[in-house]
Amino acid sequence: MAKYIGRRLLHLVGILIAVSFLTFLLMYLSPGDAAMKKLNAQGVAVSEEIIEKTRESMGLDRPFLVQYGDWALHALRFDLGESYKDGFPVAGKLVKALRYTAILALGSLALAFLVALPLAILTALHKDSLLDDITRLFSFAGNSLPNFLISVLLMYFLCVKAHLLPLTAKESVKGLIMPCLALSIPICGRFIRQFRAEILEQLGKPYVSGARLRGVKERYVLKNVLHNASISILTIVGLSIGTLFGGSVVIETIFRWPGLGKLAMDAISNRDYPVIQGFVLFTSTVYVVINLLIDICYAWIDPRLRRKGGGA
Amino acid sequence: MKNLKKTLALLLALCMILALAACGQKAPAEAPAAEPAPAADAAPAADAAPAPQEAKWLRMATNFAYPSLDAHKDYYGWYTQIYGMTETLYRIDADMSVSPLLAKDSSVSEDGLTWTFTLADACFSNGNPVTADMVARNFQRLIEVNERYDDWADFTFTAEDEKTFVITTPDVFPTMLVALTDPEFAIMDLDATTDFDNAPICTGPFVIQSFQPEGDVEVVRNDKYWNGEVKLDGATLFYMPDADSKLLAMQAGEIDCYTSVDAAAKEIYEADPASYNLTVIPGTRMQFYVINQTRLDDSVCAAINLTVDCEAIAEFLKGTTSAAVGPFIASAPYGQVTKPAPDPAAAKALLEADGYTLNADGFYEKDGKVLELSIAHYKSRQLPDLALLMKEQLEKIGIKATLVVEEDPDAGYVATGDYDIALYCMIADTGGDPYYCVDALYRQSGKWAKAGFPTDESEALINQLQFETDIDQRAALANQIVQMSIDDNAFGYVGLFNKVSVARPGVTGFSEDIPFDFYGLTPETDIA
Repeated sequence: MAKYIGRRLLHLVGILIAVSFLTFLLMYLSPGDAAMKKLNAQGVAVSEEIIEKTRESMGLDRPFLVQYGDWALHALRFDLGESYKDGFPVAGKLVKALRYTAILALGSLALAFLVALPLAILTALHKDSLLDDITRLFSFAGNSLPNFLISVLLMYFLCVKAHLLPLTAKESVKGLIMPCLALSIPICGRFIRQFRAEILEQLGKPYVSGARLRGVKERYVLKNVLHNASISILTIVGLSIGTLFGGSVVIETIFRWPGLGKLAMDAISNRDYPVIQGFVLFTSTVYVVINLLIDICYAWIDPRLRRKGGGA
Repeated sequence: MKNLKKTLALLLALCMILALAACGQKAPAEAPAAEPAPAADAAPAADAAPAPQEAKWLRMATNFAYPSLDAHKDYYGWYTQIYGMTETLYRIDADMSVSPLLAKDSSVSEDGLTWTFTLADACFSNGNPVTADMVARNFQRLIEVNERYDDWADFTFTAEDEKTFVITTPDVFPTMLVALTDPEFAIMDLDATTDFDNAPICTGPFVIQSFQPEGDVEVVRNDKYWNGEVKLDGATLFYMPDADSKLLAMQAGEIDCYTSVDAAAKEIYEADPASYNLTVIPGTRMQFYVINQTRLDDSVCAAINLTVDCEAIAEFLKGTTSAAVGPFIASAPYGQVTKPAPDPAAAKALLEADGYTLNADGFYEKDGKVLELSIAHYKSRQLPDLALLMKEQLEKIGIKATLVVEEDPDAGYVATGDYDIALYCMIADTGGDPYYCVDALYRQSGKWAKAGFPTDESEALINQLQFETDIDQRAALANQIVQMSIDDNAFGYVGLFNKVSVARPGVTGFSEDIPFDFYGLTPETDIA
């Protein structure tokens, strides 16, 4: 297992180099640069001379490989540099935004999981019942509705009509409820469908029929079913964590939640290479690490994988 | 089975603990001493902005938020001025005139190179007086920390005495007073301020109470304000970039006012005049197009300008823009230009007289080649709508049009000149003088020169405008240059964005009547 983890972490280095290089290249090739974006931010025209001078002072006039190499050398020393836009350290910006994203991601994931798992079990056990039909409808609706629409509907009904929650709340449990709900509804819809399908698949397997024929109590059958479905469930949840940690621009903008998604979008609009690079490094690492953790969990859950002596 | 239970329990517990622990953390900003009062006619949400009833507290939404309150850096001064924290030597009034603020008066030497200012008896929020030396050092700092003011590096700033401040310029600089209205020329107490990013000491009617970088801001009355009574106790400025959030917050009674109301929200507010006061004034941000004369026949250039119907476009955009004649508002002395009324029949006649004939598809062609124009634009400031409307209007008379979208116009079509018609949006009037816009649009060395308009004659007039000190003469010169651009069918001025503000009844004086984006709270801002 230790070898396997070491190998995966080694892969991470390669992934980070490739991803950061490609991102830097794409930003370099796209029209416009940070100097122009910064100086013209409010629609005020600035002379070409000043733009050139600013470009020079920011090092944007240097060849691509020199710019990338300079950034990479600093990154190797854990120095992600300073934002082109405002001169503040990139690491500080990422940490601050990460805190907000982590709160939102974990909160909405917990909510979605807590709602989806019991519903998926119930609907799988009572397939084609009224509950199954209603849950399926909710699941499809949750999956189909775009985030911004869910957000606006929630704000309208909970804030404007019912006055239950504040729109202008600061960091608090109350302030977290609406973005959390808006983000968890589509996740919950997806989870219910996927969990239900996985449980149904397990319920259709011969070991379940065999157990039932032998008169094994239904709750023990269900325990075995859930155990066998847990690897798939864990994969689904794990992949969602990776996505959620990339931030959600729409939710963060609508609910004034300064997370990673908005930070990344603003950085892309401003051609703020250091922030974009920092964001890419962070999200790549999160994806790889979470996938690694899931693989470790597979081995923990399924002893057969441990005995094989390798990863999943 | 035990493993499964453990896994699930661990996962759930981890999620819940992290989420709840994180939620429970305190906000970085402290709560205001005098908290916001809810609007009388609105039922506030559960914990939105509670406050003692006696406090006069305004809740306003803002469109941008910055990471610092250092007024000299970047565009942060725009927002410190909106927050009512900073002031400049001069300010622009609602009628576009420049009036003294921290300066009492000024004079310029006969050669036009030396400006002498007498400062008002102003003081900072800590009680320290504003001195000429402090003003000089502020200007020097601005030039050091803000690239946009590199042009000022050759100027010298000296303090003659406690209240007399002198600027010496290498060339005549007739727009000095207008330039000094830029929010970046804010005066801060450089000696007493220890944290420029979070707590600068300034001269405005409000001082910072709490500041969340790139988030919400709370200000309270400056008890030592030097220039009259401050009517509000304080204000919370919520950063709300999303238009729907602002509309819903207004409807929920959680904010009292904001500017930059979009078309959809404007219709809703208009339908309920008892609950919302809507103010619409022409702004300074202009939508325009440039016709590439180097690629098109004169008849085509003229036909374009005779076809584009700015009134119809403004109507379609539902009052968010006002139809323009030139780049400046028509009431300004330098906004006195004319253009022919839309006349599609005349446009067709011009094309036909030049040898264009309609083909079977209903489009004009000449020498077997269909007349097809590219309309280059970018996705911002309603330019996609404008491009589509222009395409429709042109195709109605038989000119085929293709829309070309680019993400960054300055690095794209503006730089290459690869367009037949280029759409663009910019602030035309930065402060009551036409030179900034004229310089940006019509110079032979400017970014639009590739389209073929500038001539030696227009360049000479611009040079004359640059150094002309007489205000009436400046307006006359600007009118002459802009009129040339219209008569030459080089430019088309489509619309001026309206500044649309909404407020609850009783909320007044949040700069809703000033066309510039960088004014907000003033001593006069009030809530009934």
